[in-house]
Amino acid sequence: MNNIELPSETQPDITSTDETSLLVVILDSNPGQKMLRDNPHILTHCVDSVIAFANSHLMQKAQNKLAIMACHSKTSQFIFPGPGRPLDVRQIDGQYEAFTNVEKTTKQNLAKILSSETSSAITESLLAGAIAMALCYIARLNRIKPPGAKLNSRILVVTGSGCSASQYMNYMNVFFTAQKQNVVIDVCALDQHLSLLQQGCDITNGLYLKVPQLQGLLQYLLWVFLPEPPIREKLVLPPPVKVDYRAACFCHRELIDIGYVCSVCLSIFCKFSPICTTCHTVFKMPAPLAGKTKKKKKI
Amino acid sequence: MGDEEDPKEYRWETGYEKTWEAIKEDDEGFLEASVADIVQRAKRKRHALKQGSQKLGMMRHLFILLDCSESMSSQDLKPTRLMCTLKLLEIFLDEFFDQNPISQLGVIIMHNKRAEKISDLAGNCRKHIKLINNLNRTSLVGEPSLQNGLEMALSSLKLLPSHASREILVIMGSLTTCDPGDILNTIDNMKIEGVRCSIIGLAAEVHVCRLLANQTNGVYNVILDDSHFKDLLLQHVDPPPAAKCLESSLIKMGFPHQINIEGSEEPLTMCMCHVDSVDDGSKLTTGGYYCPQCFSKYCELPVECRACGLTLVSAPHLARSYHHLFPAANYVEMTFSNQASICFACQKTFSEADKQVYQCPNCKKVFCLDCDIFIHDALHTCPGCATNLSTFQITHSN
Repeated sequence: MNNIELPSETQPDITSTDETSLLVVILDSNPGQKMLRDNPHILTHCVDSVIAFANSHLMQKAQNKLAIMACHSKTSQFIFPGPGRPLDVRQIDGQYEAFTNVEKTTKQNLAKILSSETSSAITESLLAGAIAMALCYIARLNRIKPPGAKLNSRILVVTGSGCSASQYMNYMNVFFTAQKQNVVIDVCALDQHLSLLQQGCDITNGLYLKVPQLQGLLQYLLWVFLPEPPIREKLVLPPPVKVDYRAACFCHRELIDIGYVCSVCLSIFCKFSPICTTCHTVFKMPAPLAGKTKKKKKI
Repeated sequence: MGDEEDPKEYRWETGYEKTWEAIKEDDEGFLEASVADIVQRAKRKRHALKQGSQKLGMMRHLFILLDCSESMSSQDLKPTRLMCTLKLLEIFLDEFFDQNPISQLGVIIMHNKRAEKISDLAGNCRKHIKLINNLNRTSLVGEPSLQNGLEMALSSLKLLPSHASREILVIMGSLTTCDPGDILNTIDNMKIEGVRCSIIGLAAEVHVCRLLANQTNGVYNVILDDSHFKDLLLQHVDPPPAAKCLESSLIKMGFPHQINIEGSEEPLTMCMCHVDSVDDGSKLTTGGYYCPQCFSKYCELPVECRACGLTLVSAPHLARSYHHLFPAANYVEMTFSNQASICFACQKTFSEADKQVYQCPNCKKVFCLDCDIFIHDALHTCPGCATNLSTFQITHSN
């Protein structure tokens, strides 16, 4: 009977009243990222590492739950548990069926997405949107869990693309929602340093790691990101980096120490300007400034 | 004055409503689903109203005027009116500072015909909650004086710069007020100063409260029970539309960051926030936030620098308020006819039980009711728009 139902309905069943931990891995598989344009084979390596890591998570506890998402510039999708029926897997080489299922489903769905990717233009991956979807998914699992059960959720972002300021607002919205829902966001940067996502890790008490050597990706994942947040305190992990929370002004995109903030729309400027460029409000001039100009005219 | 008041003010003045007909039993004869449906519909309605007004009073300065007179010891709210109010205020304060991180709040109590300031306008949530918790030991005596309370709040609010949004929230348990002078003059003063006064009544409607709220563009509600009370209180978490006389200006703010000198350890210093507090004195610590103008150290943000008066914030504090100004588009309700097999966001498979689905007007993705509420209540970002580059750019150019 179970096979007839869709996986998205059967998968999240949380039967035990014990604590369950849910891991949502967001894998940036956008072919437009620099790392993959230089060497497309890296993706295979990343996918293999992520699958091995995901299976290790499932192995730790029978109740552990897993979801894997692929993030592109046009769409983001759940590739495990994917849409449609679960695969009918038989035991191969004595491997536990659930693991085989993760590997096959993930690879099959990922291949589907990659083959549908037509344009070769270089586009940024919209990670904030993928995190937003993951949060909705986590919110649903929280709604349908049996009363008394505890669901600890975390999101791991594995990406090689950079982060752009255009997604700033979406990033902040998802970070603060995650903080409110007690969802930890971990980030594993493969190629570039991600300052915005680093802020997200700091806000949600997650870990940020820029992988020094891509070859050892699996080892980094297993050492740093596999332990659950309560256990992490007891481990010697990379020390938290001091996050720079300075604001970038809207006019020049430069980090500033002292700035001017529009009282209507909270845009940040590095110099006083009479009109807000974001909301077109006209400001009154500050009084001492007006006094100075008058004096000059008299002279 | 009569024409200013709501035409449908009282229940008995409105038409004959068969309120019980809105509630339908489900297949198993339960009412729960139907009631939940009504609650969710009300939530959606409130969201629909929210869109539209662009100018909001973002830098709020709110005084809570709490009635601590004899009437607050009444036990119609469990355990007592005061206890219930304090418990709810705690939730309110948390939510208020979460949603309005650069706003300030103060508390005034009214008892024995006097007003007493419990805490001055400040932006520290924990300090206020501590003070509010201490209030449950106050003796509830005498009558409240609405006028004294308002005048005390006004004397503080008057001094604020013109770009600040000034508000008073009165929680009134008593049906009477004992005032030294003409309260109508006070109401006029409130109106002139542009202070928005809202009132939550715990007993019954009082004319002077209704007048005060109407004259100052506030809202006046009387609670039905404690859950309704909570609902009414949390309505005041969202920033109100900006008052007409509110001036806009650029405010100078500092964005402190840790000073890192390579190769040297940070010196032990004291922070300015605890320097003169009696119960937990200032400790020597490393780290902290330094005012970029005068280099005073603070252990928490946001704060106003005590030495030079500069407002110190961090960028995420400002970003947390952006969703009030750029909310996610409201979804269109549609009857379910196989538009999509699963909800785009939470991957829930649509079934017969989902009579309505919700579509985003920008990205045309279909969502379930729970996601619709979650997205507009908490997330403030449409997952459909945020995952597609073409719709992402549309929503951002608007």
